[in-house]
Parts: sequence; C-alpha cells; structure tokens
Amino acid sequence: MTPALLRRPAAARAPSGVLSFLSSLLTWAVLGAAALLVAVPLLFMFGASLMPPAEIMKMPYDWVPREPKWANFLQALAGNDGTWMFLRNIWNSLVVSLTIAATTVVLSALVGYGLAKFEFRGRNLVFMGIMATMMIPFETVMIPLYMIIVKLGMQDSYLGLIAPFLMNAFGVFLMRQYLLTFPREILDAARIDGCSEPRIFVSVVFKNSGPAAATLAILAFRQQWDNLLWPLLVVQREEMKTIPAYIVKFAAEKSADEGAMMAVAVIASIPVFALFLTLSRYFLGGSMVYSAGKE
Amino acid sequence: MGRRRGTSSLEGRQARWGWVFVAPGIVFFSLFSLYPILNAFWTSFFNKKLLSLKPPRFIGLDNYLRVLSSEDFWNSVTATLVFAAGAFVPLFLLSLGLAVLVVSRRRFQRAFQMALYSPAVLSSAVAALIWLLIFDPRGLANQFANLLLSSPGIDRKWLADANMARLSTILVYVWKYVGYFTILFVTGIGKIPQSVNEAAVIDGAGPLQRFFRITLPLLKPTTVLVSVMILIQCLKTFSTQYLFTQRGAPLGPINVVTLNIYNTALRDQNLGRASVMSVLLFLLMLFLSWAQLRASRDEGEAEG
Repeated sequence: MTPALLRRPAAARAPSGVLSFLSSLLTWAVLGAAALLVAVPLLFMFGASLMPPAEIMKMPYDWVPREPKWANFLQALAGNDGTWMFLRNIWNSLVVSLTIAATTVVLSALVGYGLAKFEFRGRNLVFMGIMATMMIPFETVMIPLYMIIVKLGMQDSYLGLIAPFLMNAFGVFLMRQYLLTFPREILDAARIDGCSEPRIFVSVVFKNSGPAAATLAILAFRQQWDNLLWPLLVVQREEMKTIPAYIVKFAAEKSADEGAMMAVAVIASIPVFALFLTLSRYFLGGSMVYSAGKE
Repeated sequence: MGRRRGTSSLEGRQARWGWVFVAPGIVFFSLFSLYPILNAFWTSFFNKKLLSLKPPRFIGLDNYLRVLSSEDFWNSVTATLVFAAGAFVPLFLLSLGLAVLVVSRRRFQRAFQMALYSPAVLSSAVAALIWLLIFDPRGLANQFANLLLSSPGIDRKWLADANMARLSTILVYVWKYVGYFTILFVTGIGKIPQSVNEAAVIDGAGPLQRFFRITLPLLKPTTVLVSVMILIQCLKTFSTQYLFTQRGAPLGPINVVTLNIYNTALRDQNLGRASVMSVLLFLLMLFLSWAQLRASRDEGEAEG
C-alpha cells in the first residue's frame, strides 16, 4: 500500500493533488455519514431507555434524556404484570446459549478430530454427509423437529430448547479444517508415551484448539441469544421463555411503556455488546470464517 | 488393549477410534437434520394435524395442489420475493460501496468496520423492538422523513399501510445486516493482490477505472458468495415480520413464507400443508446454493 502512495505524486498531474484531497474528504464524509446513520437507532435505544414515554414521542425528539429515568429498568425487569419473569427469562437465555456454545465446541472438536486425524473407510462419506446438512436451513425442518420434541415430551424444558442445536455442521467443518494442520508427530509421541486416545483428545488436541474453539463458541452463543423461532415453537410456559420470546410478549402488550421497552432492549443487548467490544476480532473474523465455510 | 489382543493392527485400531470420535456426529445429524428433512417430505403427502389423535391419512399430492392453488400461499411468495428483492439491492450495493471506501482508508479502518457491524450484534427481536418505536406515528421515522421532504406533520403510516409495512421491514433488515456484508466484501477485497492495483495506479488508471476494471472482476467469487448469502438470509426472515404483526401491523403484505409455515403449523395446526411449504422453501434454497456452487466452479475452471 505505502509504495503506491509514495509513487502517486510523481505520476500525477498538477491538479490531482487537489482532486485527491477532495476525493479523500468526500470518502471520509460518506463513511462518517454511514456510520452515523447506522448508529442512530442504537443511540435512540440507549437514550430512550432512560426517558418517560412523553419524552420519547416528543416532536422534535431530544436525543439526551432530560433527567435519566432509571425506573425504566426496574419496570423492564419487573414486567407489566410485576412478576419479574424477565429475570427468569434472562437466566434461561444464559443457560441455553452457554450450554449450546459449550456442547457445540466440544462435540464439533470431537467429530472434527475424528475426521481430520483418523483413517477409516467411509470417512469421506461421513464428512460429505455432515457437510450436506448445511444445505438444510433450520426454517425448513423446524416443524418435524418440533414434532420430535413433542414425541420426546421435551416441550417447555431446557432439553427441548437445546437438543436441536447441540452441535452444527459448520462447527464440524471449522474444527476439522483447524485440526488438519495439527502436527501428527505430537499425537504419535503422546501415543508412544502410553496416552489413551480419549486423553490425547482432551489434553493434547482440545487444549490446543483455542482460537477455532473461541470463534465457534461466540458464533454459537450469538445464534442462540438471537433465536426466536425455536423457543416460540417449543415453549408455552412463561417460566421457560428466553429473552427474544419475552420481548415479543412484552412488546405485544398495549400497556407497555416505551421507555421500559427500550430498557428491555438494552438489557437484552448487554451480553452480546460486551462480547463484541472485548472480542471484536472474533466477531469480524468469525463472519469471514463463516462465509469461508459456505464457499 | 488392542496390542495385547495381538490380532488387530495399528490401522485397525486407529479406524475404530475414528468411528468412536465421529459417532456423536453421525447420531446427531441423522436425528436432527436428515430425519427431519425426510420427515418433511413424507408429511407433505399426508393429511396430518397437530394434536390430532386420528392417524394421518395418505393423500398424495393433495396438499401440494391445495397450497399451490391457494391465494394465501402466493401472497406469501409475493411478500417474500418483494422483501428479498427490496433488501437485496440496497444491501448488495451499500455493502460493496462501503467496503471499497473502508479499504481505501489507511486510518480508522477497524473503527469503521466495528461501527458498521454493530447492529448485526443485536438480536433480531431487539432490532425489531427499536424500530417499532422509530416507526411510531410520533416517532423518529416520520420526523426524519418530514425533515428531508420538508413536509411537516405528515404521518407516513410506516406500520399501518401495506406498502409502507413492507418498506419498514426492509429498512430494518438493511440497517441490521449492511455492516455484516460489508465485512465480507472487505475480506474479499483484501484477497486481491495489492500489486495489481499498484500497477494500475502507475499506468494512470483513476479510482473509478480501477474499481470497474480491476476490483470488480477480481472480486467475483466474493460477489457470488455474498449475493447468495444475502438471498438465502432474506428468504429466512421471520423475527421482524412476526414482531411487527404482533404489534398490529397488517399480516398480509409481510406474511413471508417462514411466518406462514409457523402460522399454518401452530395456529391452523395443519402440518401437511406447513410441510409442503417447508419442502418448497428447501428446494428453492437448494437451487440457490447449487447455482452458487456452479458459478464458483465455472470461475475456478475459467481461471485454471
């Protein structure tokens, strides 16, 4: 990049210095405007979460709350009916998302390791079969999946919320690709030392799959934190709902206070935003890896 | 243990352990992917009701005929296609344009990427909730539109009018995912060898020329991939439409296929017809993936 930029003035005619300054200015302006436009709804969410309804719906709208109304958060947690069900639903979301993140990483590593480092007949068939399931979007199999859960009597339970997402094909793909480059000599050395295969997996392979495991865990956590369709299907009892399902219920109530609605939105976003700000490289990198899996 | 038995070779033992490690995958994907899709095909030929004690009756293609001749289904197809087309064009153009601009800057690249990406971090339910208030008659959307068009006091009925409801769901989607696809394009552009661009600069090619003659042709694999990803994502949209209708938006114009499957199965309890729609959606997405695979394979053959 730098050499080209150094060379540019030499090749350029006189007015292009001004032109390139102007085009650079324009680029910054467009990027700045785009970033601001994207940020507006987020700023609105944070601001409105501290406002009384009259202030949120004021024309023209003031972006900064006149006097922060922290009671919105209390009402968001207590709910319109005062049962504090949101607390329970936040807990459910945490249990489900964290469990799925953990099982996805462990099971994908297990299967990915088997596919990457062992020779057996039918291995390619197994691999292609698992990859083919990536072509089956969840939306097209949700009804049969729901019937399975009903048959197993797992509605309104953590098991029912978790079971279809214990692992996924993309995770297997990611772990297999990652472990393909794992040095075989280390595995053989462990075998010669008398290490059992399960132990090799736990203390040699799994311990060393940190970056891929982190990418996968964050991806799985986010997907489940966002999952609305599946909880809507398998959960009827309020106590077993997750955050997205609670949001639907809360928003559908006509009496819902707009400020409290935005407080619900803020609370629901805290964990993912905290992850995003601390581990942004796994988010930006994660979407790249994810798209690579689809290539 | 194998060694003590003596008969099993090293290869044999390794093969057995291989099967042990992949076994959970075989069980899981058979049960939760393979069986359900086969079941969806199977159920689509039966008169099957949710919570019904009567055994389902085989009715051949009856469900297909019913679905394909129902106005409700074609309305959903229209709603989905309008949404997909309406979201695809701005998503594609904006994310490509922004990616080109972002990589042209040396400073603050990461900050811009993060800022643009941030809505993609939110849950779709949260995104829909925020926009529900923005689209309120007294909300920001009206104020903003009236400011731009200097038309004070007009309510554009963002959630009440049929076409506006469509536009609103598209807006939410474009806002939420533009940064996500921008990142994919940024990665794709990063894969283009820098030397090609530098050579063009030396040869006196302007920025526009460089974009259309160099970046765009070399970016084709990414372009194909992102296009298909956007389309498939759009076909699966559910949360925004569901939340908006729960809050009183008209169902008809935004009754996308996934929402229709959900309602047909749970509200109408008609699993047969829900399965028909699932199968049709599946085939459409399969076709799109296949088209992408073919396009990228042609690309590879042309190059190599």
